[in-house]
Amino acid sequence: MEKTMKKNPLYFCLFLLPTLLAFMIGFVIPFGMGIYLSLCDFNTVNDAKFVGVENYMQIFQGDDTFVHSFWFTALFAVISTVAINVIAFMVAVLLTKNFGGTNLFRTVFFMPNLLGGVLLGTIWKVLLNGVLVMFKETLTTKGVYGFIGLLILIIWQQVGYMMIIYVAGLQGVSDDLKEAARIDGANNRQILFKITIPLVMPSISMCTFLSITNGFKLFDQNLTLTGGEPMHNTEMLALNIYNSFYDRIGWKGVGQAKAVIFFLLVGLIAIVQLKLTQSKEAD
Amino acid sequence: MESTKKLKTADEIKIKRKKSDIIFTIVFSIISVFWVYPLIMVLINSFKEKMYISLNPFSLPDAESSVGLANYDQAVNTQMNFMAGMWNSLVITVLSVFLILLCTSMCAYYVTRVNTWYTKVFYYLCLFSMIVPFQMIMFPLSKVTDVLQLNTPYVIPIVYLGFGAGTAMFMFGNFLKSIPPDIEEAAMIDGCDPIKTFFLVVLPIMKPTVISVGILETMWIWNDYLLPYLVLKTRLYKTVPIVVQYFQGGYGRVEWGAIMASMVITITPIVILYLFLQKYIIKGVLSGAVKG
Amino acid sequence: MKKRLALILASAMLVSSAVCSLTSCNGGGAGGSSAKGHVYYLNFKPEQDKAWQDLAAEYTEETGVTVDVETAADGKYEETLSAAMARSDAPTLFQVNGPVGLANWKDYCYDLSDAAVTKELTNDAYALKADGKTYGVGYVTETYGIIVNKKLLSDAGHSLDEIKDFDSLKAVAEDITANSAKLGFSAFTNASLKSGDDWRMQTHLANLPIYYEYKADGISSTDAIKGTYLDNYRAIFDLYLNNSTCDPKIVTSKTVDDARAEFISGQAVFYQNGSWEYARVSEALGDDNLAMIPIYIGVEGEENQGLCTGTENYWTVNCNAAEEDIQATLDFLEWVVTSDKGTDALANKMNFVSPFKKAKEATNLFEKMSIDYTSSGKTAVSWNFATMPSEAWKTELGSALAVYAANPTDDTWAGVKEAFVDNWAAEVAKSKK
Repeated sequence: MEKTMKKNPLYFCLFLLPTLLAFMIGFVIPFGMGIYLSLCDFNTVNDAKFVGVENYMQIFQGDDTFVHSFWFTALFAVISTVAINVIAFMVAVLLTKNFGGTNLFRTVFFMPNLLGGVLLGTIWKVLLNGVLVMFKETLTTKGVYGFIGLLILIIWQQVGYMMIIYVAGLQGVSDDLKEAARIDGANNRQILFKITIPLVMPSISMCTFLSITNGFKLFDQNLTLTGGEPMHNTEMLALNIYNSFYDRIGWKGVGQAKAVIFFLLVGLIAIVQLKLTQSKEAD
Repeated sequence: MESTKKLKTADEIKIKRKKSDIIFTIVFSIISVFWVYPLIMVLINSFKEKMYISLNPFSLPDAESSVGLANYDQAVNTQMNFMAGMWNSLVITVLSVFLILLCTSMCAYYVTRVNTWYTKVFYYLCLFSMIVPFQMIMFPLSKVTDVLQLNTPYVIPIVYLGFGAGTAMFMFGNFLKSIPPDIEEAAMIDGCDPIKTFFLVVLPIMKPTVISVGILETMWIWNDYLLPYLVLKTRLYKTVPIVVQYFQGGYGRVEWGAIMASMVITITPIVILYLFLQKYIIKGVLSGAVKG
Repeated sequence: MKKRLALILASAMLVSSAVCSLTSCNGGGAGGSSAKGHVYYLNFKPEQDKAWQDLAAEYTEETGVTVDVETAADGKYEETLSAAMARSDAPTLFQVNGPVGLANWKDYCYDLSDAAVTKELTNDAYALKADGKTYGVGYVTETYGIIVNKKLLSDAGHSLDEIKDFDSLKAVAEDITANSAKLGFSAFTNASLKSGDDWRMQTHLANLPIYYEYKADGISSTDAIKGTYLDNYRAIFDLYLNNSTCDPKIVTSKTVDDARAEFISGQAVFYQNGSWEYARVSEALGDDNLAMIPIYIGVEGEENQGLCTGTENYWTVNCNAAEEDIQATLDFLEWVVTSDKGTDALANKMNFVSPFKKAKEATNLFEKMSIDYTSSGKTAVSWNFATMPSEAWKTELGSALAVYAANPTDDTWAGVKEAFVDNWAAEVAKSKK
C-alpha cells in the first residue's frame, strides 16, 4: 500500500494536495505574516512598518494586564481540564452501565455542545446574573464570580463531548479482561485504576489535549460572559490580545506580539501535556 | 454495552443490580432536567417582553410579560434579513463540512500510511495549528483571503478547510494509527487501487470518526462569528451569528427579545440535525469502533 | 521521490506567488469602478442603516452612480474598519471619532479642505483639522443632559424652574427619594454600569469635569489631566447612585436598556442620556411630558451652563481609493448635504441635526431645547471625549466606577481618581509610539 501510494504522484495530488494547499492559505501563510506583523507597527496589514522587537518590549514595560491574564488563564485551563475530564469520565463510566435511559442521557449531556460560544456566554450571563441578583451581587462585582461562572459554563459545554469520547474508549475495553481480573480477585477500584484507565489512556490523552487547548484559547465565552470585568480581573489571554488591538492607537503590533508569546506558551504546555499522557498510554 | 448475562452470578445480585439501575435512572433524570434547563430558559424567554427578560429570567411568561411570537417576528423581519443569513450559514456550513471531511480524511490516510519526512512535518504542522489562537492570524488571514477573493459563501469553505484542518487531521490521524493496515493490504491483493481501498474499505471503518469530526466542525462553523466577519464581503453576505450581533444596536439598545428568539431559531436546526444523527453516533460508539 | 519534491516545490511556488501579490498590492483598484466611480460607505450608526440604504438607492437612481452602504455592528466599527481598509475594495467613505481617531487613520484620509461639503459647514468648529488641513467633516451634532419626565416631577410637587444648579437638583432628587415609597417612583434611573453600557458615566458624565478643567486652564486638550473637578464628579455620581431605582450594589448588572425601560415606564423622573433617545422616549411619554436639563455638577457659575452639544462623528474620505471613486464620493457627500432629498433624509429619517447651511430644521425636541438654551444666553458644554487618550482609559474608568458603586468609600474613590488622573498620563504615554 505504502509503496503504491508513494510511487504514483497521482495519489499525492488526490489525497494530500487539496488539504495542503488550503492549509497554506488558511494557516501557514497567515501565520508567517502574523509573525512578521508582530515585529511591525501597523494599523492595517497594508501599512506595516518594520520596528523590530519594540512591540515585545512594550508588553512587559507598558502593560501589566498581560501577566495577570496569563496566570488567570493558566489557572482556569488547569482547573477546567481536571474538572471536565473527571466529570466526563465518571459520567461515561456510569452511562456505559446497562440501565434505563442511557441513550437519552447521552443525548442530553451532549446537547450544550451544539451552541456557539457567544450563545453560551449570553445564556449563562442571563442565568447567573438572575441568581446572583438575589444576593445583591452580579457576575462582575468580584473576579471570583466571573471565574466560577466561566468554569460552570465550560463544564456544561464540554462534558458532553468528552463523555462521548470516553464512552467510545470504554466500549473498547473488553469485558473479558475485566472479568478475568475479577476472577483473579481484583476489586472494582483496582479494575478501574489498573485495567480500565490504562486502556482508555488514548482517550484521556486526547480529551485533556482538547480541553487544555480550549481552556487557553477561550474567547467568545469570556467576551460575552464577563468581558474581562471587573478591572481586567477575568480577562483571559485571547481577550487581552483582542482588546489590545483596539483599545489604544498604535497597539495592533503589540497585540500581535502578545499573540506570538501566547501561542509559544500554549505550544509548550500542549507538548508537555501530550508527552505526559502519551508516556502512560498502553499499547 | 456490557450485559448481566455474562456475569455468572446469582439471582440476588441481579435483583440488587435492578434496584441500583432504577436509582441511576432517577438520579440521571434529575441531572438531565438541570442540564437542559438553560436551553429551556431561552425558549421561555423568547416569548417574553424584553424588559421582563433582564428583570427576571426565571419567570414564565404571563399575561403581562408575554408577547406571543412578536420577538420571532422582529428577529426574522428586521432589515438585516435573517433568512438570507440562514441561507448563507447553511451554504457555508454544509460545503465546508463536506470539504473538510472528504479532504482531511483522505489526507490523514495518506499521511499515516506514507511514512516520509514531509508527511510527518505536515502532520505535526496540523497539530501545531490547533494551538495557534485565531487572533494571531486574523489580520493576515483577511488579507490573504481578500487577495485570493475567497470572500463569498461558496468559496469560504476553502478557508475553513485550511484553518480547520488541524483538528480534523488530528482526529482522523489518531484513529487511523490505531487500526492495523492488514485489511487494506488484503484489499490491495484483491486488486483494489488505493482510491478504491480508501472509499470501499477505510472510509466505512472510519464512519464513527467521520461523524464525530463532522459534528465538531459543524458546531464550529455554524456558530463562528469572527472568521466570516473578517473574511466575507459582509455587506453582501451575512451569517446568522453576524446578524444576531446587529440586534445589539447603537447606544446600548439591546433587543433581548429578538436575541432570545434568534437563539431559538439558530439552535433549532442544529438540534434537529443532531437528534437525527444521534442514532448513528450511538451506533458508531456502540460498535466500539471509535478508539481514542 | 523527486516527483514528489517537484510537486511540493510547485505548490509552494504557487502559494508564494500569492504572497508576493499580497505584499505588493497596495489596496488600489476598487472593484466595480467605472468611469463614474462608485461610493462605498462604511456607516457607524446601526439605527440609521435603513435610512442610508434608501438614500443610497435614490442617489443611484438619480445619477447612476452605485453607492454601497455597509453598517458595522454596534461596537465593532474599529474592527470592521481595520479589516475593510486592508481589502482591495476598501470603503471610500468612512468615519473617525475626533482627533484621536484621526491620528490613527490619518494616512488614509483625503484632504477635504477644498471639498464642497466642507464649505457647506455652518461652523468651522465642525471641521476636523490636523496640520492646517481639514480631514474630517462633522455631519451630526448631538446633545445630552438629564432627560426629565415633567409629569412625574409635578406629581412629586416640584417644577423645572426650581432646578438652577447642583444644589437645587440635589434638593429635588433627595426630596423625591424621601417620598419615593409614597410616590411610587424614584428620582434617577439606574446608572447602568455594566461593562459596555457604562459610557453614560465614564464618557458622557466624565466629560463635565474635563470640560471645566479645560475651561479653567484655557486649554482644549492635555497630556496630563489634573482632576480639579473630581470632587464634583463624585458628588453627581453619588447623587445618581443614592437616589436611583436600584441598589448601587447591583448597578453593575444594569444596562442602558434597563435604565431606559425604567424611565419609559415611569419609575424614574430623571434619566441622563442624549438626543438619540428622542424617538423612543417621546413615543412612550409624549413631547409635552419631556424636557432636558443641563447636568449640574456644582461648579461656580453653572447657572449659565447649557446642554452638552457636540459631535464625535466625522466623515472622512479614503485617499487610497481610485481617483474616480474619490470624486464620486465627494459628489455624493455634496448631494447629501445640499439636495432636497439628502437634507430631508438627514433631518427627518435619521433625526440628525446637521451643521450644514442647507440643513432642514430639527424635529428632535432635545436638539431644539439645546438651541433654546444657547439662544437664551447659556453656554453649551463642548464634547471632549475625543481628547480622552484611549478606549482603554474609558474602560478602566468604568471599571473603577463600578468598584466604587459596589462599595462607596474614600478608598475606592481613590481608585477612580487613579483611573482618571494617573491613567490618563499613562495612556497618553502608551499611545505615543
